Amino acid sequence: MKTKLLMACAVVALPLLLSSCGSSDSAAAADTAPSVSTPSVLVEDAWVRTTTGAKDTTMTAAFMSLTNPGGSEIKLTSATSPVAGTVQLHEMAMKDGKMVMREKAGGIAVPAGSHAHLAPSGDHVMLMDLKQPLKPGDEVPLTLKFSDGSSHDLTVPVKKFTEEEEHYHPSQTPTPAS
Amino acid sequence: MTGGVVALSNQPVPAEATPSRVVSPYGDHQPAIAAPTPKHAELVALNLLSSTDRAALGRLMRLWSTDIVALTEGRPPPGDTAPELAVPNTALTVTVGFGPRVFTRPGLTAYKPSGLDDLPVMRHDRLLPAWSGGDLLLQVGADDPVSVVHAVRRLVADAAPFARPVWRQTGFWNSTGPDGKPVTGRNLFGQVDGTGNPAVGTPEFDATVWADGPEWFRGGTTLVVRRIKMNLDTWDELTRSEQERAVGRKLSTGAPITGTAEHDELDLDARDADGRLVIAENAHARLSHHSENDGRRIFRKGLNYVHDTGATRESGLIFLSYQADVAGQFLPLLTRLDAADALNEWTTTIGSAVFAIPPGWHEDGWLARDLLA
Repeated sequence: MKTKLLMACAVVALPLLLSSCGSSDSAAAADTAPSVSTPSVLVEDAWVRTTTGAKDTTMTAAFMSLTNPGGSEIKLTSATSPVAGTVQLHEMAMKDGKMVMREKAGGIAVPAGSHAHLAPSGDHVMLMDLKQPLKPGDEVPLTLKFSDGSSHDLTVPVKKFTEEEEHYHPSQTPTPAS
Repeated sequence: MTGGVVALSNQPVPAEATPSRVVSPYGDHQPAIAAPTPKHAELVALNLLSSTDRAALGRLMRLWSTDIVALTEGRPPPGDTAPELAVPNTALTVTVGFGPRVFTRPGLTAYKPSGLDDLPVMRHDRLLPAWSGGDLLLQVGADDPVSVVHAVRRLVADAAPFARPVWRQTGFWNSTGPDGKPVTGRNLFGQVDGTGNPAVGTPEFDATVWADGPEWFRGGTTLVVRRIKMNLDTWDELTRSEQERAVGRKLSTGAPITGTAEHDELDLDARDADGRLVIAENAHARLSHHSENDGRRIFRKGLNYVHDTGATRESGLIFLSYQADVAGQFLPLLTRLDAADALNEWTTTIGSAVFAIPPGWHEDGWLARDLLA
């Protein structure tokens, strides 16, 4: 996962976004560096919640930070993974006074010059019809496709999450927002 | 860390940017070993769950490697529940080690570094299980204790499916002088502590610290952690010259009693007007000197600690020793000090643990991959 993510970081972000790669001393140079091309979305800190200990082990979610260094909005339009029969892009939304999870129409927008954070209780990549249990420390291939035509092949670590399952794990009977 | 930089040119010095305090997590060796002792540190020992086999340990090392990269760069690791606590420029470092029992697990028995065994109990030891042993070690250091506890919290949380903490020790050290330059630092007896170390970057240091085998362990080292309780009350009853005589060094500068500057060589043969050795037979500096130990050396570090129970304070030193081979380098020295060291009267070791510290890793790798992949 590190390899792929760091490569994505280096290749995609060098012109503009060195500071986002965690190299703080390069930030000043990055600010003044000319933009040689319009970079696509930068993907960082992706992870997948383990199915170990989950009530429903046929589905889980992937989370990550997306950064769009360019001048126009880019959308995450689809995702695929060999471990999942179905992958959808989901959002959490209020409906009839309840927080529900639903497919996000049109994908997940990453605004120009800004970020989208896919996180528990927010937008996420939903992995369904899982073909195998996902144990902590496993690595899951995940391909993201964006509206600018770019795609990212990631290797994403599986991690335990400490919040209660209902707070983030997709369910047909979500608990009300507190 | 910048104390060794000397401006040699006459060029005007540009206004200095805030120096980066990000320590790269990558390298041939885990980076904290040769770095200055951090201001604040926590050590956590964990025991593997019975379900954690070799493959699972590999998964944990991949997770920890990801976490360590993020934390040292000041970013929250994936899934951080308190991401605002991850901040850059705190000189955060994480060091990971494996206790001897790891090498009793199926698939790992052939890879144990030579000499990696729990130390025998010394005559002066009063070891408590609560401070001893452990299968995994996490050592986290930083300029700032909030960063330390945050990093430890994430790393321990991500280890939960694999291992449970068995002890934690928190310590502190000041290795910066009033002028901002690096200093050796002092323990709570007031002694300059660590002067006899081989200097980082010398062939002597490399030969002392880095293991050259087995293959996966090349560039690794071993770490002895000993929790040493110090009796400050009885120490304070001594006169200054009695205190200096016990160590063989001056309290003011750390210089040998026979010298004037901290790094002056000990004159172990010097005698006073009455013909007595100036540096006493049982002085700590003499007994631990490499010339008195068949050339055996170690790389000593330490962290002061205090442990409060209500109004009662225990003070001491988390003694840390790095060496290529515990049995070959550290144990003979320890045996000799246990038998005769003058300091034994005021110190009691209450915890002891030994760990193999795997080599470092690079951007295309992860911790201990050559052992666990």
